[in-house]
Amino acid sequence: MTAPTPSPAAQDAGAAASRVYWRRAALLALAGMLCAVLLGGLSAWFLGAVAIAGLSTAALTFNFHVPGALVRLFAVGRTVARYGERLAGHKAALTDQVARRVGLFRAMADAPATRAAGWQMADQARLSDYLDDVEDLDYARLRVGLPGTVLAISLAGGLVATAIVAPLALVPPLALLGMFALAGRGLHRRAFVCWDAAKAERRDGAARLGATLAAAVPLRAEWHWSRQSEAALARFDAADGRLLAIRRMQAGLDAAGGLVGPVAALSVIGAAWLAGGRGETLLVPTFLAFAWLALGEPLQGVSRMLVAQIRRDAARRDNAGWLRPAQAGATAIAAPAPRRLLIERLQRRAPDGRPLGLPLALDLQAGRACVLAGPSGTGKTSLLKQIAGWTGNDTMRADSASIDAAARRAMAMYCPHDAAILADTVRANLFAPGRDDAELDAALAAVEMSGRVAEAGGLDGWIRQEALSLGEAQRLNLARAWLSDRPLILLDEPTEHLDAAQGERILARLLDRLGDRIVVLSSHRLDGGLAETIRL
Amino acid sequence: MGREFGALAQARALARRPLRILTGLQIARTGLRLGFAAATALVFGTLIMSGEVSPMVAAAAPALLLLAALAGLALDIVQARAETALSGRLRAAVGARLDAMPARQVQALAAGRLIVALQRHPEAVAALAVGHRSAATMMAIGPLIAAGALALVSWQAALLVLALTPVMIVFFILLGGTIRRRAQAQEEAFGHLAGQFADRVRTLPTILANHALPAEEAKLGGRLSAYADRTMAVLRVAFLNAAAIDFFSSLSIAMLAVFLGLGHLKLAMIPGFSGLELWQSLFILMVAPEYFAAFRRYAEQYHAKAEGEAAALALDALMQAAPVAAPVTTLPAALAPGALPRSGLVVITGPSGAGKTSTLRLLAGVDAPAGAAPPDALPGPVSWIATDAFVPGGTLGAAIGWQVAGVTSPRLMRAASEVGLLNDALLPGGLDAGIAEGGTNLSGGQRLRVAIARALLAGGPVLADEPTAKLDPETAAGIRRLLAEIARDRLVIAASHDPALARQADRVIDLVRPALPEAAR
Repeated sequence: MTAPTPSPAAQDAGAAASRVYWRRAALLALAGMLCAVLLGGLSAWFLGAVAIAGLSTAALTFNFHVPGALVRLFAVGRTVARYGERLAGHKAALTDQVARRVGLFRAMADAPATRAAGWQMADQARLSDYLDDVEDLDYARLRVGLPGTVLAISLAGGLVATAIVAPLALVPPLALLGMFALAGRGLHRRAFVCWDAAKAERRDGAARLGATLAAAVPLRAEWHWSRQSEAALARFDAADGRLLAIRRMQAGLDAAGGLVGPVAALSVIGAAWLAGGRGETLLVPTFLAFAWLALGEPLQGVSRMLVAQIRRDAARRDNAGWLRPAQAGATAIAAPAPRRLLIERLQRRAPDGRPLGLPLALDLQAGRACVLAGPSGTGKTSLLKQIAGWTGNDTMRADSASIDAAARRAMAMYCPHDAAILADTVRANLFAPGRDDAELDAALAAVEMSGRVAEAGGLDGWIRQEALSLGEAQRLNLARAWLSDRPLILLDEPTEHLDAAQGERILARLLDRLGDRIVVLSSHRLDGGLAETIRL
Repeated sequence: MGREFGALAQARALARRPLRILTGLQIARTGLRLGFAAATALVFGTLIMSGEVSPMVAAAAPALLLLAALAGLALDIVQARAETALSGRLRAAVGARLDAMPARQVQALAAGRLIVALQRHPEAVAALAVGHRSAATMMAIGPLIAAGALALVSWQAALLVLALTPVMIVFFILLGGTIRRRAQAQEEAFGHLAGQFADRVRTLPTILANHALPAEEAKLGGRLSAYADRTMAVLRVAFLNAAAIDFFSSLSIAMLAVFLGLGHLKLAMIPGFSGLELWQSLFILMVAPEYFAAFRRYAEQYHAKAEGEAAALALDALMQAAPVAAPVTTLPAALAPGALPRSGLVVITGPSGAGKTSTLRLLAGVDAPAGAAPPDALPGPVSWIATDAFVPGGTLGAAIGWQVAGVTSPRLMRAASEVGLLNDALLPGGLDAGIAEGGTNLSGGQRLRVAIARALLAGGPVLADEPTAKLDPETAAGIRRLLAEIARDRLVIAASHDPALARQADRVIDLVRPALPEAAR
């Protein structure tokens, strides 16, 4: 395997760009907040000032142009800064998203679980849950970090200004904020538990519903269907109930949050009046009070930040599993490519690591395809994965050299029976960047896919998993084996989903083509006929 | 297409009642907020101008504030409850639809998509039918209430904000068109790149198996960047929507402040803006943004609309899938309801595609609505033995005794040992062996043996689909013996290729291949 991409330099550049966007977003958010606060305060101050001036001849000399111009400036500034903040914030989040997702993909590729039995992300419900987690992480900074910082700074500013203008007025909003913070912490804990339980119930419901759908016929025959499907749906309903509990908490928090600004505003004017302020001396407190009204507005939606934070924390924890230490890195293929692999005592193991049966002797040779035969559930796939070096740490021999699992991973093309089709071009799906069109066409012809591929728009036509039948996906998968340049080719149930005659035709061509490689295949249908058969 | 499901229409009908309550609460909250604005304006206006304020007004301001907050709280809770209840009702409607479907139709559904749909879509549809609808209603009522409150003080000020609205709406229409065009262009050019991350995560083992990780990783980075760039291009226009509301809201404040200021200075005689008390000016200034708040709340629901509509369409598509034709619709005479014995082993043989499995299904009535036996099926529940038998999560003992009345531990033990599950090297732990939800850690042969053990314990007739296929010869012989044992006092009907099983049968029914081949199962 080559060095990880994108290069560290490119990554640094990306990180630097994202820092610039975040800084810009934070500055714009602060500017927008400042404009909103000043707009509210200044216009109220202005009205008070002109009302007082209007009582006397001062009206004739009152310079209303400056405050009028400032009001317009803040009005436009608020609009522009908010728009800019949204853009810069999303740009920053999307920049981070690209880097984070590529990193996650890399980490998953390195995780041992990826090569173990049964790829969990092939399950749509599991994949959707995972994507939700990734998205919660992607947008956490935009939903929590940025607005939280701006809110904290503006609250601090408001409190400082209040301490200067009317210190006594600090008491009610501070008391409210203190209660708010205490309640918020309690809610955070309870909401986290709820969210966690809801996630678990959704997962459980999905697993139950999946099992129920897969067993639709037996459940109907045994008259247990309705109860089973209702039980599965009840799990989803239970999860909805947990989310409802979170929304109730949010409602309480938002209602309380909405009080802070207006309470502070009334406190400021009340305290100023009690301190003896009258007429013009009340104008500055009025400015501050109306500034508080504007400042308090974002607190009406503070619960969204709390929920985003909870979701981020839960997602971070659930994603940590993918960031465990990686499997030993693959080594280069031994040169020249080995033509024989030997092991005297290979202890077969079940997917969970338990030993299966007595140790087995294997002598795999190029040009002599070996068939693993046996009924379903006897561990054919597990053995193929062991030979491929995907699981276990068995060491095999090639002539005099010893070939460990990592070395076999590098030299093996493992063709799983449920191989996936990437949403990409046919060419990309063949994984043979070094081969020319004629070779690719020949491979497709060998697996009898030329017609289907022409229908999809040729080698550069775009295909998706759902657009192909199981048999077509399987044949495309065999074309990948046909084009592979690896010395060890492992085919799991190569004729599955194909009708018997077609399966035999394609397999014969494929084995002929791979005559110079070590080939092992598993089958519950084939039995004998090929050079070597191992019955499990 | 199958019968109409109409997720959104169902949701809208169910949402009617809660929406009335929500609208009432919205109006109450808006009224209380306006009351708070009036009281606050009075406090500030009279304190500045006369140094005194009536205690009634001073007390009314915090009281109205609190009441408005409580109304908001009630509003949020009622909306959340209504959406949750509606989501449950929709899910139950899907469940009822699944119950009424023939089993073959259930099997034809894309299971993964259906599960994700049932998990998330009802919630999205409910948010569209309740939350979004309520915001839309309020967009009509809220500004009118605010304008009415303005008119109480100065009808000219009310007229000014009303006059801004058509301008804003024209702006929205123009903007909406641009957003749609951009989004569509984005979809056409880059739609295939949406979901590339999900796709590569899904296909990761295949990528590793083909040594394509470095190439795919680089490609993924490039495609995600390209998609992010295009997303920004759409957002740049989409955010103009919110900016327009912000702009008009700010503009109204700026205009009103200047007009009101000139009025107070008596420098210009602007009708409606001259001769006002300070509290009246402050009230106008506080209420004007309230006029635009409903538009903003509606604009924030943009995602709820898109998601809800997509979810409703997806649910409809799943529930209205074209009916799957039954491959076999009539039973052979020998299997007709009156023709079957009360006990004994009946084996249905015949070449592949002759309809053996379909005949068994017909006998079990699985393609009728759940829990009902059609006239030509066996009259009650049967034990179904096949590799797709249902296996609940838990222990092996619980899986064998699942839904069987009065099982005792010794009987469980015997049944498990009869089918060779007690000493299965691949499933150690005896009756306590762990079973994953849906038995995903079992092979087809193991599931089949769990089903046979269960059938041993249960009463009633047994239907078995290829009970000896895919098994090693020794186990297959054991299964044949067990089926014969059950058949001594119960009816066992097996569809099988196995000549050894046919030799043991009390009656063999040979199906010939019908004119039409059996449809893909």
